[in-house]
Amino acid sequence: MLFNTLHFLIFFVVVFVLFFTLPHKFRWVMLLAASCYFYMAFIPIYILILAFTIVVDYFAGIMIEKSHDKRKRWFLIASLVANIGILAFFKYYNFLNNNLSLLLGKFGYPDPIPALEIILPIGLSFHTFQAMSYTIEVYRGKQKAERHFGIYALYVMFYPQLVAGPIERPQNLLHQFHNKHSFSIQNLSDGLRLIIYGLFLKMVIADNVSPYVNSMYANPQNYSSTDIITALCFYSIQIYCDFCGYSLIAIGSAKSMGFNLMNNFHTPYFSRTVSEFWKRWHISLSTWFKDYLYIPLGGNRVALPRWMFNIFIVFAISGLWHGASWNFVIWGVLWGLLNVGEVLYNKLFSRPEEKGDFKIWHSIHAAKMFIIATFLWVFFRSENMEKVKLLAKSIKHNFSLNNSLNVPHLVWALLIVFLVFEIMFYNHRFDKWCEKRDPIIKWSVYIILISSIIMFAGIEDIPFIYFQF
Amino acid sequence: MIKIAKFIIPRVLVLAITLIAANFIYTKFFFEKDLQMHADMINLTRGKDSARVIYMGESSNFTSHSDDKDPRSISGMLCDYFPGLNIQDISHGALHAYNYYIFLKTIQNNSKLETIIITLNLRSFDANWRYSDLETFLQKQMVMIDPTYPPLFRRFLLGFKGYDNKTVKERERQFLHEWETTVLKVPFPLQYNTVRKWDKGIATNGYIDVSGNRNEDSTILACHYVKTYAFQIDTNKNPRIKDFDNIVKLAKQRGWHVIFNLMAENTQKADKLVGKELVYLIKQNRDLLVSRYSKMGAIVVDNLECVNDSNYIDQNWTTEHYKETGRKTIAKNLSEALKTIYPQYYKSIVADNK
Repeated sequence: MLFNTLHFLIFFVVVFVLFFTLPHKFRWVMLLAASCYFYMAFIPIYILILAFTIVVDYFAGIMIEKSHDKRKRWFLIASLVANIGILAFFKYYNFLNNNLSLLLGKFGYPDPIPALEIILPIGLSFHTFQAMSYTIEVYRGKQKAERHFGIYALYVMFYPQLVAGPIERPQNLLHQFHNKHSFSIQNLSDGLRLIIYGLFLKMVIADNVSPYVNSMYANPQNYSSTDIITALCFYSIQIYCDFCGYSLIAIGSAKSMGFNLMNNFHTPYFSRTVSEFWKRWHISLSTWFKDYLYIPLGGNRVALPRWMFNIFIVFAISGLWHGASWNFVIWGVLWGLLNVGEVLYNKLFSRPEEKGDFKIWHSIHAAKMFIIATFLWVFFRSENMEKVKLLAKSIKHNFSLNNSLNVPHLVWALLIVFLVFEIMFYNHRFDKWCEKRDPIIKWSVYIILISSIIMFAGIEDIPFIYFQF
Repeated sequence: MIKIAKFIIPRVLVLAITLIAANFIYTKFFFEKDLQMHADMINLTRGKDSARVIYMGESSNFTSHSDDKDPRSISGMLCDYFPGLNIQDISHGALHAYNYYIFLKTIQNNSKLETIIITLNLRSFDANWRYSDLETFLQKQMVMIDPTYPPLFRRFLLGFKGYDNKTVKERERQFLHEWETTVLKVPFPLQYNTVRKWDKGIATNGYIDVSGNRNEDSTILACHYVKTYAFQIDTNKNPRIKDFDNIVKLAKQRGWHVIFNLMAENTQKADKLVGKELVYLIKQNRDLLVSRYSKMGAIVVDNLECVNDSNYIDQNWTTEHYKETGRKTIAKNLSEALKTIYPQYYKSIVADNK
């Protein structure tokens, strides 16, 4: 079930009403049933994979807590193997197969393992990471093992963040399912605000620029360099609005029932540095890698070369997390190199991190970061490296100011509205921004958002980009 | 409670005013552009206010053969019989009853329309057509054209996919499921009681031609005939029934005469390729429709068997695309029905139905 559908709007209202009409002790059952329904609206059979990991991690959590030393570690390993195994099979099997075939084909073994027709279960990378964070935290003793199977299942399956995050930590989410939530106008208002802004980002901005991005990427050789650069910038906007929009709707849906999910985006294109960008982009994934990979590797409390290696490897793996393809790995590696470069630069010139509000100098740095991100998204968006080369070639050979994308004035106007809003909400989440504003300003913004969603929502069926991960 | 009401009521009011204003702005400045961009079928319905008779059809109306001397549509040929009567058509490939119903709803109350001729295509009731991948495209168009709701709400439904929006794969799953699970019930022994089994049976045994050999092309075609015609209309579940019923109801409300033009199907080929059992099912569905809509006060022109195999354009597929003779025959049959409503306009012509 997609968030930007009538189906979801009805689902949301029904779940919300049921949640507050049911007694507390039955709410988890309803939420779990609703989450199952939500997930099964995609491909029903894949709920069995979720069920398998839930059962494994539930018992692993309890056994980890009960055991000591080596046994404890073995239970953690069992849980991680189950989760990573499923992820590896569904997401990376064919990638591995293709690469092995390519490599061993040179030695006369073109098909070392059979190719399988595998459909990636929706949101697999998200819920396996969330499940892993549970067993790791139990292992570390920072989280008590959940004894209530239904509540644990709900922790993994909670519908707002089931298929594309935010990837939650058990310390933040699990206890909230035990707490009794009373109806609160404040929560409902905050939730609705986030949903509306999320829908605006996804339906009005992302879905309206997407057709231009798609047509350019389909045949870059047919477009002028101006068109290609415009479409590349559009993709930067599309992926942000698509994913941030999704996250806001997820956070808002949970918030309306009184559940607090972590922030996932923080106006990332206004970052001044590479490291700041990653503190503001897909925060729940960045912090996951930080907590469960970067810090266990030693983080920055090691010798400089090892620190650089730690940064690099985290970004490379993060690239692979996004997709089983070399262009995602290259995308991650390039971000890693940029991070390493920035750390080294700051070490050499001991430049302090700039703080403060949005100023001219800040705008220049933000523009620089936008250009960098836009360039790197090329690797993310292209289906393969051939497409990257074709794009580069087309920019070089089709150098002209011709505009054949034919972007309507309305789309440009909507982009300006989006930019104004992003500047207004800089460093504030939309619901918090609204709290501090005069009702007239606040309601003017609501009216613009709601009217735009109804009148100008994109009409093509464009799935959320991060669903594929 | 009062606190909640004080909180909610002003907000609801502001929202309501916003929506009314937005509807005004949208209708005035954006609606027509959106219609042209996302629902250009609206143009089919425009400029028909002067018509006294409207013929609604799909590709069966206008498809002609390259050898036809007269390539005109059925509706065009029908006009020959009624020179003084303003007959117009609304035709587009792959249309079905739901589309006709929506189009009819757009006709203004002050139009001169008196009679509607609606194509009643048997195949439009089968799973293959109902779950066709074209359906999403048609549904998108209809949601914007349907005048039941204000333009802003239609745009909302379009944006939020408030229509039957399914992927090609999902639709494929639907008709495969129906072929697998719907049991055919006939008063004689039937070797295969589901489409799936029947299709598989023919594919396995093959079509044996006069020389006693398996003919691969005919086997494929026979399988296709089974998948197209081996169904029994369930009047409670088949959405087309609801659509045709709605058309009759709407016509009654608006005081229009209704003529259902039940299209010819290639029963000769069905008989030759598959057998009497399939023809039985086709005729059973025909009888059901003729009886149902006659009882509801519509005139049903039964063309089912009026076109010979040789007059079908597509010999390797199931379509209602007729050569000139076929179209002329149907036009003539229709003229007989229309004559009962407009005897004063009728002009007898000698049909060249060779």
